[in-house]
Amino acid sequence: MPDADDPRAWIHGDESAKAMLARVLTERSFLLLPPLHRLPLRVGNVVEIAGPSPSAKSQVLLQAAVHCILPREWRGIRFGGLERMVIYFDLDCRFDVLRLSQILKHRIKEVLGSTNNFGHGVEEGSQEYDDKVASMYSFDDELLLACMRRFLYIRCYDSYEFIAALKTMHSRAQTESEALGVGIQFLLIDSIGAFYWIDRASQPSPYGNCMRKIMSFQNLMETIVQEMRKFLEVQPLLVLASKACIFFAGSSTTNVQRTVTTWTSEDRKQWRTSNKEIEKFLYREYMPSAWQAFVTHRIHLQVSDKCTCDKKNGTLPIYMSEWVQPPLNVKDQFAVGDGGIFMIT
Amino acid sequence: MEERGRAEASREELERLIDGGTPYKFAVASQVPMPPTRNPRSAIHAKSPITEEVGEEDVGMEEVSVAIDRQQPPWLNGVELLEDAKWNKHVLPTGCEGIDILLGGGLREGQLTEIVGPSSSGKTQVCLCSALGVADLNLGVVLFLDTCNSFSSHRIAHMVNSQSDTLVKEGKEGRLKRIMSSILCHSVFDIFELMDVLHQLECKLKHQVKSSGNRIRLLIVDSISSLITPILGGKNSQGRLMMITTGILLKKIANEYNLSVLVTNHMVGGEGGSLKPALGESWKNIPHVRLVLSRDQGSNICNVSILKHTIIASGRAAKFVIDN
Repeated sequence: MPDADDPRAWIHGDESAKAMLARVLTERSFLLLPPLHRLPLRVGNVVEIAGPSPSAKSQVLLQAAVHCILPREWRGIRFGGLERMVIYFDLDCRFDVLRLSQILKHRIKEVLGSTNNFGHGVEEGSQEYDDKVASMYSFDDELLLACMRRFLYIRCYDSYEFIAALKTMHSRAQTESEALGVGIQFLLIDSIGAFYWIDRASQPSPYGNCMRKIMSFQNLMETIVQEMRKFLEVQPLLVLASKACIFFAGSSTTNVQRTVTTWTSEDRKQWRTSNKEIEKFLYREYMPSAWQAFVTHRIHLQVSDKCTCDKKNGTLPIYMSEWVQPPLNVKDQFAVGDGGIFMIT
Repeated sequence: MEERGRAEASREELERLIDGGTPYKFAVASQVPMPPTRNPRSAIHAKSPITEEVGEEDVGMEEVSVAIDRQQPPWLNGVELLEDAKWNKHVLPTGCEGIDILLGGGLREGQLTEIVGPSSSGKTQVCLCSALGVADLNLGVVLFLDTCNSFSSHRIAHMVNSQSDTLVKEGKEGRLKRIMSSILCHSVFDIFELMDVLHQLECKLKHQVKSSGNRIRLLIVDSISSLITPILGGKNSQGRLMMITTGILLKKIANEYNLSVLVTNHMVGGEGGSLKPALGESWKNIPHVRLVLSRDQGSNICNVSILKHTIIASGRAAKFVIDN
């Protein structure tokens, strides 16, 4: 408490802007994880990752999950993770835990390989070497399990299960994070539009009273967003949601091509705009406005027809990413190897 | 003719398996070490979240939360998921060497694998081969849902007879009988019938979790696209609703009851005359694994490549031989 005799003390700040920035940045650090590294993402943001299948959407989510559950430091070795919990909603029912553990193992091995002065003065094949290998593997396993415990997963087969899960998420997350002693940082959803066709078809019941709310896709989505907003108020999180493209660009392509051939060589500009048209159709928004207003950042992913080739990974398709909200006119290229996503420069 | 008769018989078996509680006639012993089948849903329920230091007045609240937990899908952590994958999700060999090597063993339980390819590229052959493989190794029962009369017990019998090297212990007849009796074939001619069968199957599986000896391990739908294509198209979204519902139901059955699902899909001409898998953009989000088959005219070597896989990078390819 400032001294009552000295009024000037009342207007002295608690801390300087610099000190505050330093404090906030360490408490709520930015996520700069490729291919999401162009914009500083932090808790409270809702990022939509849109793209046609396959465009490595789930891989981006898994990469984020691995970054979050890895420890900052483990027995003196720096892993550079966040050491926080992740909640993963699997609405597509295609999550493969073996893929998650594969990326995790790769990351762990990578860090151990680069920091360990392994084999230094120890001859390969000797007893000492074998012991070291054995100890390293048990070390791996322990760390792997510790990381996997921070991964909280739920699978939902319809929107009602999803809403039910959102409603019980708070209590479950609390018990879980108290048991582990770490907070939750990420909420991952794969993928948000999974039940679009199913919910869209639900019709208002002709019987019963009209006071009942119609279970349309829009109403369900509003409820889902409301539940998530409520949760985010109590527990600030970074939300990453993938969204599949469900409209095929082909039908519009043929139309566009037809117009191009009738207008022919007059200007190539037409063609360029029509390419944009295709893209617009491909990423056509089908989510209700409630969700659109909830999203703060949006990135588009796409697979290109190019490939990258190296000795370690073999031939891999190249994916492209572009921020559309806020719009950045930069296209990044990345590929997905056994150890996860890596950028191509 | 005789084999046809057996296929009919296995249809009856299917009905018995779905409707009645009569124990399966041809009991087969599992070779895979089977821990007690653990339903992930029941695993969570066993763990009561009631803690010791709950006050009297909180007991009612705790009961409510336990009741709610029972109603909803379970929350699992990564360690529990790994355990489930280790104990309940095995790999079933397809019997086609090239595919097995490509997929790292074969078809994973809990996953939906889709085979796409133009006509006569070997899709049905792969289905029959996997059915034969699973039945031959006594892994469990195969349910073959046949939508376009592609199932041929004659072809399976031919395949059994051609692999004569393993016939040391048991006679040809006995082995054939054993294999045929664990393949159940059921004809399905429209999407409603398919959904009906799947719901019955789910119901049946829900009540026989304990018996692990002759449980269904592999569900084949050959071909799923011939059921879905007629209902797609137009402005009405009912067709897509049924397609996605079927897809989610297949994945649910695969996941909850640890069986592997194999479906086939045909190809249609896309832009520029190139072939692409049928069923469109929305269906792409359904299968875990997509494989493309292709075969040159007159050759008996099939090319298979990965369009999509949960672990393996897409684009890898292999070859395998099928006999005509």
